[in-house]
Amino acid sequence: MNTKQAPKPKNRSGWIMLLITLLLYGVSAFLDVSIARSALNKSLDVLKMIAPILLVVFFLLALMNTFIKPKSIVRYLGKGSGLKGWFFALAGGVLSHGSSYVWYPMLSELRDHGARDGLIVAFFYARAIKLPWLPLMVGYFGIVFTLVLSFYILLGAWIQGVIADKIVAKI
Amino acid sequence: MTPLSTRFKQALAGTFKSLYSILPMILAVIGLVGLYQTIVTPQMLHSLFSGAPLQDTLIATLVGGVSVGQPFLSYIIGGELLKEGISLYAVTAFILAWVTLGVVQLPLEWAIFGSRFTIMRNLLSFIFALLVSWVTVATLSTLS
Repeated sequence: MNTKQAPKPKNRSGWIMLLITLLLYGVSAFLDVSIARSALNKSLDVLKMIAPILLVVFFLLALMNTFIKPKSIVRYLGKGSGLKGWFFALAGGVLSHGSSYVWYPMLSELRDHGARDGLIVAFFYARAIKLPWLPLMVGYFGIVFTLVLSFYILLGAWIQGVIADKIVAKI
Repeated sequence: MTPLSTRFKQALAGTFKSLYSILPMILAVIGLVGLYQTIVTPQMLHSLFSGAPLQDTLIATLVGGVSVGQPFLSYIIGGELLKEGISLYAVTAFILAWVTLGVVQLPLEWAIFGSRFTIMRNLLSFIFALLVSWVTVATLSTLS
């Protein structure tokens, strides 16, 4: 893979969004300082939780850019990747950890190098199966519910991927 | 051919440039998550449901879609809703929408993947939250 990166938000939308968020914090602090403080603490907790995952993702991205050629990505995740592509997308979705936005840069990079939209859609939906939390789901809703729901999530992820590919092909 | 170490260094520099470019948006999303979790309480979410299965399923999908937080929170809230007599259709749709839809991270998804992909993916996730909840409950009814 070449080393050309994909800093997608080329415009200033990120900074504008950050400014809006800061303004919202300002308004909250004006109305009730404790709300703003509590929100800030919660945000810091989220940041602490995702920072290590984000670093791992970016390290993986660097490794991917160093060792994997775009041709390989097209073969495994592009048009004609067949069952292999679906397997990687669904398994990747189930095994990926952390918030979905942490994975956006890597998926965007794969997409830029030929990965199909359908596989990315399937990856996102398969993330609805949260392996570490399955015991809790079993505790609340039972083993049968958990198994049936997990099966339909995977089936749904695949069907959505197929639909997304068809939509993209028509546009 | 460029040596491996040089290629890796270049790739690292590139990825950090990439990280830097999306950092403001990520920080904004994290900030919004904190505000949402502080202002919107589980009790507020409970109060939105009426007990009518179809209406509750739609509300659950919408509420799940705008909710943020660890997935286990959706199981806990979902479990409580079930105890209060809210249908399993609605609770399943709520859990699914919680993890597959993301209104708070929508601007980031839009900025990185573009409008077409973001609209398509979120629409599909919304429709499938309803469909998957329906087939799951139907299958459970058949099995029991």
